[in-house]
Amino acid sequence: MGDALANLLNFEKFILMVAMRFVISVLSSSTSPATRRALRFAQALLAQKHEIVRVFFYQDGVLSAANNLVVAQDQEDIARQWQDFIRAYDIDAVVCIAAALRRGVLDHVEATRYQRQGGNLAEGYQLSGLGQLHDALQRADRHISFGGA
Amino acid sequence: MTTLHILNSGIGSQLQSCLRVLSDGDGILLCGEAVQALRTGSQAAQLLMTQNNYRLYALQEDLEARAIDASQFVLTVVDYPAFVALTVEYARVNSWI
Amino acid sequence: MAKSVLLMSRQAPWAGIAAAEALDIALAAGAFDLPLSILFLDDGVYQLLEQQQPKMLEQKDLAANLQALPMFGIEQLYVSKYSLSERGVTPDQLAVPAKLLDEVQVQELLRQFDHLVTL
Repeated sequence: MGDALANLLNFEKFILMVAMRFVISVLSSSTSPATRRALRFAQALLAQKHEIVRVFFYQDGVLSAANNLVVAQDQEDIARQWQDFIRAYDIDAVVCIAAALRRGVLDHVEATRYQRQGGNLAEGYQLSGLGQLHDALQRADRHISFGGA
Repeated sequence: MTTLHILNSGIGSQLQSCLRVLSDGDGILLCGEAVQALRTGSQAAQLLMTQNNYRLYALQEDLEARAIDASQFVLTVVDYPAFVALTVEYARVNSWI
Repeated sequence: MAKSVLLMSRQAPWAGIAAAEALDIALAAGAFDLPLSILFLDDGVYQLLEQQQPKMLEQKDLAANLQALPMFGIEQLYVSKYSLSERGVTPDQLAVPAKLLDEVQVQELLRQFDHLVTL
């Protein structure tokens, strides 16, 4: 009985150590502390060998995917840090197209389609629909979102 | 099958609503401005103490940045690796925004 | 088996685009035939009220999208009784049919889903 219990406890520990698949939704702009928190969380996830199925940028989160933000030298450039992270680890980064267009974040295809001057979507990000959030949720063990402040 | 609720707003409605919808054994992780709820004598601190059916956590960087002394609470202070571990430990995460 | 998703919609309909963007998540799930339920909580309950005039604020009417939810296969709509009474709203004022849940039922609801999306 004692052994069975010990085995069970070990099994529980084993479960806790298993790598999990995460979807991260980023809902706030790069000036929000929540967007920085999301990045630090994502970095800690990879450090613990968990998998990031997708980072989905929605609502004001799409603003972090613009490559033309200019941040004062004495301030942290969280959008740039996100962009470096996405590229360094080849993260699947999807930006909701409808949310992005209405906030002025466009890739070259959309810029041409709507006759706007040049695209500003950072390299490594893809514009796509909300279906990509659901697709990721279906493949993930956990969903965590970061928004507000 | 418990839930980890993550709060980040200093405004009371998030906390009030969360306390009403949580189940016994759920966790509450305070981060961002939500850690202000731990200030002694605040209304939010009183609200947190009206229930004891949840486990309480707070993000270390936010506590330290605001010089908050949370010693009146039974809570676990977490860094980012521990934050990740919490999201694995609970069955689902509810991020209030 | 498909993972189940509960969308918790907490934003007032005319306080910005957040409520509409939350609803878009539900419509997208319906379009992909995925199981999704919605709980209207806190200020989110205002989305269900009848006789609103969004045109006065030059905003798009959410009602059409809300009423389209069943056509998209999203049939599980819930509303917190507490959130309604806290705001002086009675169930007969709701234009969109949603199941009324008391506090214990809301707690039970949250425990039933694989993923929670709160906006």
